[in-house]
Amino acid sequence: MTPVLVVGAGLTGLFAAALAGRRGARVTLLTEGRGGLEISHGCIDVLASPLSSVELARLPATHPYQLAGVERIHHALDLFREIVAEQHLEYRGSADSTLSLPTAAGHTRSTMLAPLAQSAGALGSQEPFHLAALDHFRDFAADYAAARLRRSGMPVDGVVRLPMPNLPLNRDLYSTDLARLFDQPAWRSETLRAWRPRLAGVRRLGLPAVLGLAHSESARLKAEEHLGIRLFEIPTLPPSVPGLRLERALRHAAFAAGVRLIEGAHAVGLVEATYPGSVSGVVSQTAGGPRPYRADAVILATGGLLHGGLLARARGTVQESVFDLPVAHTSERDDWTADSPFATQPYASFGVRVGGGFRPVDMQARPLFDNLFAAGGLLAGCDRSREGSRQGIDLVSAACAVEEALR
Amino acid sequence: MSQPALSADLCLKCNICTAACPVAAATDLFPGPKAVGPQAQRYRHPSLPLPDLSVGWCSGCGTCSRVCPHGVAVAEINIQAKARLARETGIPLRDQVISRPDLLGRFGTPLAPLANLALSAMPVRWLMERIIKIHRHAPMPAFRTRTFRSLRRAELLSKPDPDVGTGVIRVAYFHGCGTNYYEPELGGMALDVLQRLGCEVVVPPQGCCGLPLQSNGLFDAARAYAARNIRSLSAFARANYHIVGTSTSCVLSLKHDYRTILGIQSEEADLLAENAYDFFEFLALYLDDRLEALPLRQVEARALYHPPCQLKAHGVGTPALAVLQRIPGLTVDLSDSECCGVAGTYGLKAEKYAVARTVGSGLFDQAADGRYDFLISDSETCRWWMAGHARLPVLHPLEVLVRALG
Repeated sequence: MTPVLVVGAGLTGLFAAALAGRRGARVTLLTEGRGGLEISHGCIDVLASPLSSVELARLPATHPYQLAGVERIHHALDLFREIVAEQHLEYRGSADSTLSLPTAAGHTRSTMLAPLAQSAGALGSQEPFHLAALDHFRDFAADYAAARLRRSGMPVDGVVRLPMPNLPLNRDLYSTDLARLFDQPAWRSETLRAWRPRLAGVRRLGLPAVLGLAHSESARLKAEEHLGIRLFEIPTLPPSVPGLRLERALRHAAFAAGVRLIEGAHAVGLVEATYPGSVSGVVSQTAGGPRPYRADAVILATGGLLHGGLLARARGTVQESVFDLPVAHTSERDDWTADSPFATQPYASFGVRVGGGFRPVDMQARPLFDNLFAAGGLLAGCDRSREGSRQGIDLVSAACAVEEALR
Repeated sequence: MSQPALSADLCLKCNICTAACPVAAATDLFPGPKAVGPQAQRYRHPSLPLPDLSVGWCSGCGTCSRVCPHGVAVAEINIQAKARLARETGIPLRDQVISRPDLLGRFGTPLAPLANLALSAMPVRWLMERIIKIHRHAPMPAFRTRTFRSLRRAELLSKPDPDVGTGVIRVAYFHGCGTNYYEPELGGMALDVLQRLGCEVVVPPQGCCGLPLQSNGLFDAARAYAARNIRSLSAFARANYHIVGTSTSCVLSLKHDYRTILGIQSEEADLLAENAYDFFEFLALYLDDRLEALPLRQVEARALYHPPCQLKAHGVGTPALAVLQRIPGLTVDLSDSECCGVAGTYGLKAEKYAVARTVGSGLFDQAADGRYDFLISDSETCRWWMAGHARLPVLHPLEVLVRALG
């Protein structure tokens, strides 16, 4: 069994760890904290427009999708759907078309893969829907969202106010509080009983995403069955329940594949390395002293500027946080941002440049080490928010890095 | 300002800690670690009155610090805030008593049969709940007639022997109060296994780690214990002994709490922290080859392993799991729950018991599905609490390893 180290447990790291584990590697997953899935909508944005070789050709040559190629993009997305489906989390959609979904702010957003619970709210269908305002839950302003959606031509029939009996009310409710309550059959039945009389004439209902955390699919199906209408979910403010469900599914998949998880690990450098040559592992800072973790391959999935993989220094340098790998960036701090907040932001494409094997490369595009790989938000050559490619790049680069690491 | 308090500035209010907090999930009396921690911290000035009493519901499990992606010492902020709350609102007699396991042990051991009889009698427990507010259903360990130290006098060593460079791996065993007064056989197993793996093992002078005092807001008393342990154990560390313990929360005190929560800054404290190891962490780092060379016997069983919060706070993962998974015949499942609920002394308190019980309910449901022969956990307070609620034996991973070693 090849020992593989994955650093970072966001979407990229969890997916990479689960994949490598399923392929028989002995995987250790080091993470400092929990990744961004807790604040994610749980959908997989691949690109703003359907994936094709024409679309790909428009991207820069060093873009992770160009390095991967169409085949491997589709393959990675298929693997993702397969892995999470085994954990009872079904995703709908494909990279060949976009899904348009309503947001809690009353916008529409496009994505490519959405959890079943959200995909039922796709706006392509002209079937009218209502939005639900849940009593005592402040993180979903149904009236506001409905008004804005209607203004942009969406078939919103109205807002129904739903009572929430038996709520613990000593503090503000988070979406996670409601989701955990929906996991409890007794609480759920009582709440649905109270909702039923309010739903006359409603055929499709959009709810904030709170229908269960650990047993979400069965909670939603039970609710649909009980109410006799179709339900869909709209993600709300963090903590985001759809993101937590996805994290949970990927963690379970990783554990099932024998992945060893080390939380609270602060990766600080290499055990030892020969340059050019290979690395022999990662040193992690712990509550006591530093500890070495040795492996035959290391996959860095530490994220970008917001996630700790890249560190912005006041003087204008941007550093890679674990190994101080070279980072593609502009060194004048004034040039990091564009004049308008809505323009393309230079800082968004800062990152570690990789070659075709998803190995970080030096300024002459030569791989730095033959067994060090990078994936996800750390990568240069792409602007994930502008392209609408955030989660797609995470999954595709993770799958490619694993494939190369175990080659 | 303390280091943890300064880290509040790193908080982005992402609420990842709130989503993970097992106490906030169990009760709406607790607004969650972000709200009482980095958020309330800006109103906590030494000269101003306390802004909020709800931090008292924090169990101190440390989950929030572990999951924070931005390096905020959320749990440490809250433990320090809880201590100030306790000092200003008064520390009840109950907390003064349950935070001193060494004193309880010193009185309990000579009277063990009588004390155990009394503690197992429902009327006594009812009275205890009425008078000192220890919940009558909170599981308690039984006193033993002999302490660990009295059973292993041969290994006691008051001053470190100088290292003469034989290359033998040296271990100074930190037993903690749980092993000394309630589970002396666990300490015996630790010494035996380490000796069998070729280590030179001694038992240095030591006291309670001070963690229960710290959790109950008695920081000065905790610091006094800490100072004595640091003095004694750092001398052993200097003589190339590794400080190894089987009580994972006590070892975490040596590594982390002394320096970060109690704020003890010294070269000796660093020396001790950097040379302290949880038992299985130590095995994995230094003795794995030797252990793999030993034959393991079949242990036909299915077990549920619940790694304690305090183990996860070491930042070394769950090193016992890899060893357990090598035992032939043994199937080990991983607990799905963040925390068992007891968090040291939290679950014993009459007013906290129901919350602690709810925190652990996921674990107890998982344990109750009829598939498990026993449960496994590295912390004694978790084991006692889990055994009382899951109605299954709960073993330290070392006890399981010893069964396999024969």
